Amino acid sequence: MSLFSAFNISGSGLTAEKLRLDLIAGNLSNMNTTRTPQGGPYQRRTAVFAEQLNEAQQRGAGRTAGAGAEVGGPGPAGQSYDSPGSGVRVDRIIPDPNEPRQVYDPEHPDADEETGYVEYPNIEVAKEMTDMITAQRSYESNSTAVNTAKDMYMKALEIGQ
Amino acid sequence: MPVSNDGVIGLFNRGLDAASLRQDTTANNLANLNTPNFSRSHVSFEDNLRQAMEQEERPSIRATHPQHFGVPDPDEVEPRVEVDDQSVKRIDGNNVEMEKEMLNMVKNQLKFNAMSDQTSQRFNTWEYIINEGR
Repeated sequence: MSLFSAFNISGSGLTAEKLRLDLIAGNLSNMNTTRTPQGGPYQRRTAVFAEQLNEAQQRGAGRTAGAGAEVGGPGPAGQSYDSPGSGVRVDRIIPDPNEPRQVYDPEHPDADEETGYVEYPNIEVAKEMTDMITAQRSYESNSTAVNTAKDMYMKALEIGQ
Repeated sequence: MPVSNDGVIGLFNRGLDAASLRQDTTANNLANLNTPNFSRSHVSFEDNLRQAMEQEERPSIRATHPQHFGVPDPDEVEPRVEVDDQSVKRIDGNNVEMEKEMLNMVKNQLKFNAMSDQTSQRFNTWEYIINEGR
């Protein structure tokens, strides 16, 4: 456990939530984008988060029954480690596979020549907005954790004064 | 009792270590607030320490194997991070509750501050004694 691991852990959370917010902003700004370099309408993007394991967890080591743990007691004894994981990482950014929204607009240059329908991105504003609030709250909670860790370290520096 | 061997300062020292680890653990839970299938973890220390300290006699029965029982020596009780996979999970398989983690964090911070203040106080007392009460 390094001295500033609390900062690194919360920092990873801040980065991940910021990326989620960036993706939501991208989704909202491309709500009506019908052209992309790959062809077809813009596809909604979401981030997949994964836990960043610590070194001991990666090796599967450091997993002992803690002092006072009931070995062979009722239920699984649970795993115990000498340090927590190292925060969160963004595993992947995935495009939403749902079908695009069809809007009848024969005047539109991207309209299907036979049917007159235009394919718009499958973005629901309400969904993006609620996701945005969750991302914001998670970001705030990580930032509070940074402040708490900072106050604790400052307090420890006062010992002996 | 020499100042370098003050058991109270030693205990506060370990309490502060445990509080620091608990801050890391809470930060990790909060960072993984939106990670699917993540199980929160918590730090166990105080109960184990109390159990070890409540032993009237200190028999030297040490567990030499993790599957054995032993009477832990209070000096050897270490804070451990335990994975909590028993709590009710959300629909995405994650069991972190933000409110709970925030409360734990505030509680832990107050505890840390109290122990830090008490350690300072202890050092001040020693300084007072060393200076012959002047």
